[in-house]
Amino acid sequence: MSTKAMICRCEDVTLADVQHTISLGYKSIEEVKRYTGLGTGPCEGKECMVHAGRLCALAHGGDESVVQPFTSRPPVQPAPLAIFARPDDGADE
Amino acid sequence: MKPSTRGEIVPTEGPPKGKCAIAIVGGGVMGLGIAYQLAKRGITDVVVLERGYLAQGASGRNGGGVRMQWATEQNVRLMQQSIALCASFAQEIGVNVWFRQGGYLFLAKHERERVTMERNVELQNRCGVPTRMMTPEEAGSLVPELDVSKIVCACYNPKDGVLFPWPFLWGYAHQALKRGVEVHLFTEVKAIARTGAGFTLTTSKGDVHAERVINAAGAWSPEIARMLGVTLPNKPHRHEILSTEPLKPFLTPMVSVLSSGLYFSQSMRGEIVTGITVEDHAEGIQLGSRLKFLQTLAREMVSLVPRFADLKILRQWAGPYDVSPDGHPILGEPPGVPGFYLACGFVGHGFMMAPIIAQVYAEWLAGGAKHEIFDRCRLARFAEGKLEKESMILG
Amino acid sequence: MARSDDRRIHEVPHGDKLTLRFEGEDIPACAGESVAVALFASGERVLSRSIKYHRPRGFFCLAGHCGACLMRIDGKPNVRACKTPAKEGLRVERQNAFPTGAFDVLGAADFFFPKGMDHHTMMTSPRALNAVLNKVVRQLGGLGKLPDRQETPAELPRPRHKHVDVVVVGGGPAGLGCATETARGGKRTLLVDEQDRVGGSLLAHPAHGVRAANEALAAALKAGVEVLSSSTALAWYPEDVASAGRDPGLLAVHTPDGLLKVTAERYVYATGAYDQNAVFVDNDRPGVLPARAVGRLLVRFGVKPAERPVVVGDGPYARALAEALAKTGAEVTRIDGRDEQIVAASGHGWVRSVETSKRKKIKCDLVAVAALPAPASELPRQHGVPVAFADGKGGFFCRVDDEGKSAAHHVFACGDVTGFGGIDDAVSAGARSGRAVVASFTGNGMGKVHI
Repeated sequence: MSTKAMICRCEDVTLADVQHTISLGYKSIEEVKRYTGLGTGPCEGKECMVHAGRLCALAHGGDESVVQPFTSRPPVQPAPLAIFARPDDGADE
Repeated sequence: MKPSTRGEIVPTEGPPKGKCAIAIVGGGVMGLGIAYQLAKRGITDVVVLERGYLAQGASGRNGGGVRMQWATEQNVRLMQQSIALCASFAQEIGVNVWFRQGGYLFLAKHERERVTMERNVELQNRCGVPTRMMTPEEAGSLVPELDVSKIVCACYNPKDGVLFPWPFLWGYAHQALKRGVEVHLFTEVKAIARTGAGFTLTTSKGDVHAERVINAAGAWSPEIARMLGVTLPNKPHRHEILSTEPLKPFLTPMVSVLSSGLYFSQSMRGEIVTGITVEDHAEGIQLGSRLKFLQTLAREMVSLVPRFADLKILRQWAGPYDVSPDGHPILGEPPGVPGFYLACGFVGHGFMMAPIIAQVYAEWLAGGAKHEIFDRCRLARFAEGKLEKESMILG
Repeated sequence: MARSDDRRIHEVPHGDKLTLRFEGEDIPACAGESVAVALFASGERVLSRSIKYHRPRGFFCLAGHCGACLMRIDGKPNVRACKTPAKEGLRVERQNAFPTGAFDVLGAADFFFPKGMDHHTMMTSPRALNAVLNKVVRQLGGLGKLPDRQETPAELPRPRHKHVDVVVVGGGPAGLGCATETARGGKRTLLVDEQDRVGGSLLAHPAHGVRAANEALAAALKAGVEVLSSSTALAWYPEDVASAGRDPGLLAVHTPDGLLKVTAERYVYATGAYDQNAVFVDNDRPGVLPARAVGRLLVRFGVKPAERPVVVGDGPYARALAEALAKTGAEVTRIDGRDEQIVAASGHGWVRSVETSKRKKIKCDLVAVAALPAPASELPRQHGVPVAFADGKGGFFCRVDDEGKSAAHHVFACGDVTGFGGIDDAVSAGARSGRAVVASFTGNGMGKVHI
C-alpha cells in the first residue's frame, strides 16, 4: 500500500524524499531541488517550492529568514521554440 | 524509510581545521574529483573549500556531454580514458550518473568544413576511436527528424555520450568525506598568503594553513591566483543553455553543428538539453539569461529540425566557461610559486575531463608518476608562445 | 467506458455544444469550456499518469499553474488540458501510460517504493545490473511523445514590440483595479492576462464570479486599458533590447499571435497566488483539489463538482465555497484544517474517502483543500523585486510599501503576490497602486502620494 505524501507532483517527489535529502545535510531549497528534482518539472516549482521552503525552515529551527527561493528562470511558463524562431525586424508597433 | 546506504555523512560543519596537507579551492567536479582520488591513495588530510552550495558553479550547469571527438591528439587520448572512468563510475562511487553512450553526431553545413572534419576523424581513428564520416542520408537515418538538406557531411562516434553531472559531485564528496576529507560548503576563500613553506588561506569561516594548495575554482580561478600574485590568462565566458519539456526517448546521439556551436541531446529525464554560441559583450562572470540566446537557438534549431518548432522550453540558464587562450587547460605549478597547483582553463570540457585529470593529478601529488600533460599544459607556455589550438569547442 | 450523467448545472447558461475526440470516443463539450472541464463534466477522471510512479493524475488547479492535467492534444505532447479551449473535433489523448491510462502496469513502481525512492544510489552495482537499470530508466523517462509531424508546418509568427506607459501583468481584481486607475490617470496602459477569460480569482469566488469579472473588465476597457487575454508574461530580460535605440530591458509575453516584447515606463506585477495542496498521504489522488479549483468548476463553468464533497479549512473562502456547494444539493462535510487535519486520502482512480486526525473514515467524492495560496512572485523576482519567505503570507511574497512600490526601478506589485490577502484587499491595493503609479510620473518621479 502506498504511503506517499506528495510534495512535487510533476516529479513525484515525496515528503520522505525531501526529509531524507535534508538529513543528508542539504538544507536549502536549491540543494533540495538538485538532489530530488523537485521544482524542475513542467510547473517549475509553483506547486512545490513553498512546501520545500517550510521544510527547510524547520531544518533551521523555524528560522524563515534563511529560506531563499531557487532562482527564477525564464520562461515562467512553458513556451514553444516556434515563437522565438523567426528573426525580428526590430520595429515598434 | 529504508536507511540510506550513505549513512550520516554530510558536508563538514563548523570551521575548517587549522592545518592540513592540501587545501583545494573550489568544490566543483575538478576539486572534489581530486579530493576523492587523493583520499583513495591514503592522502586524507585534505580540506575542500567551496564558496556556494554543491553544484553552484559550472559543474552544476552544464549539459553533461562527454566525447572523444577532438582536434588534438592530447584531448582525444585523455577523453578515451575519461569516458572509460565514467562508464564505471556508478560501481566505483556508488551513485548513478545515467551515462548513456548514444554517440556524438557532428554536422557540417558548409562544404569548406569537410576537410577539417575528415582530418579530425582521421586523427581520432589513429588513436583508436571509431569515429566515421557520414553522408547526410546516413545522418538522417540516425536522427530521422533532421532536415538533411541543410547539411553536407557528418561524422559520428558511437562511443561518445551524455551523463547527468550532479551525481558526480555528490558521489565524489561523499566518498571523500567518508575517508576523512573535509568538504566545506558556503565557505569563501578571501585571501591566500605564503607562510613559511606553505600557505595560509583566510576563509569566511576561519584560517587554514596548508602545505599545498590546488586552484580548482573554474571561472573564478584567476581571482584565486591573483591572491598569490599569479596572473592567469583564462577568462570567463558565459554560455547559455536550455531544457525542454520531458519527452519519451527518441533521440539517440548528441547532435552538434560546429559552425554555429549548436548542440542538443536528450537527457535521461526525456528533456532536450541544448545550447548554441551567442556573442557576448558582458564583462566578468555574467550568469543571466537573454532573449537573444533563445532566439538564436530557436532559429538554428527549427531550421535544422522543423519538428522541434512545437517543443516547449521549460527553463534557460547559464554557466561560465573558463576559457584559456588555446583551448587547453592550465595545469601544474606556476613559475615562482611552488606548492600552488593550477587545475583550470578547461573551457567547455572541464566536466568531461575531470575523471581522468583528477586521477593523474592525485597520482602525481601522491608522489607517483607525473603525467606529461602537466608539462604540456604549463602556464609558462603562453609566455613561450608554443601553442596548439583546440578547435572543436561547442556551445 | 461508462459515461456518467452530465454534471453541468442546467440553470447556468453554457456555450454551444460541440464534440471532442477523446482516444477515439466522442465526448460532449460546450464552447467556453477547457478540455479538462469538458472531460470532468462527462465523468472522465484520470487524465494522465505521473512521471516516476505512474500514479493516476486528474486535474488539480484548473488554472494552468500545476503539472497535473498534461495530455496529448492535437498531436502535441504535454499540453495543459485546463488551458486548452474545447473545439469541435479536437483530438485528446492520455500520455505516459501502458497499456491505457485507466490501467497502468508500470504503476508497480508505486507499490515497490512505498515512501519514496532515492534513485541516486539504487542498483549501482554490479555493472550489468546498473546497465539494465540505465536502459529501463531511459525507456520510462519523459512524459509525452515528440509532436506529430506536420504536413504543412505552421508559419512562424513574427515577434513584435509594443511600448506603453504602464504594463500590468495579471487581470485579477488587483490588476484590473490598478490598470483602470492608471488609464483614468491618462497613462497608456496595457494589461496582459494568461487566462482565456480575464478576472483571475474573481472567477473562482461564489460571491463574485463571472458577473464581477465582467464588470471589472468593462470598467478597465471603458477607461481605455488595452487588454490582452490568453497572453502569458514569460520573463523579464534585463539585457535584451526590444528595438533599436531603446534601453535594455523587456518583458517577453507569449500571445496567441506569437512573441510580444513589451517595454514600459512602469511595470506592475499583479500576478496573484498559486493554488496549493496540503501535505498528507496520497494527497495527489485525483479528486483532491485546491478549493479555488472547485470554485472555478462551479462558479466559472457551471459544473456541479461533487455529491459528497469534503471542504478543508475554516477561512472565509472555505465557508463561502461550502455554502455554495450545499446550494447545489451536495452533502458537504467540513474539516476545519486546524484542530482536525486530513491524514490520508484513499481511492484509486478518484478519491473515495479521507481519514482525519479525528475521524477514521469520511466517504467522499471530492476534497476541496483551502490551503493558503502561494504568491506568484517569479516574474517580479526576475525583475529585481525583493521577496521574503513567510508561511503566514503563503510563501515568497513581494516586499513593497503600502502603495505597491518596490525597490526595483519603476516596478510595482499589488494584490496577493505581496502576500495572500484575498479579493477585497486586492481590489483596494490595486486601486491604491494605480494611483501611486500615476503620481510617480510627475515631480521627482517616485515620490509619496497623498490620498
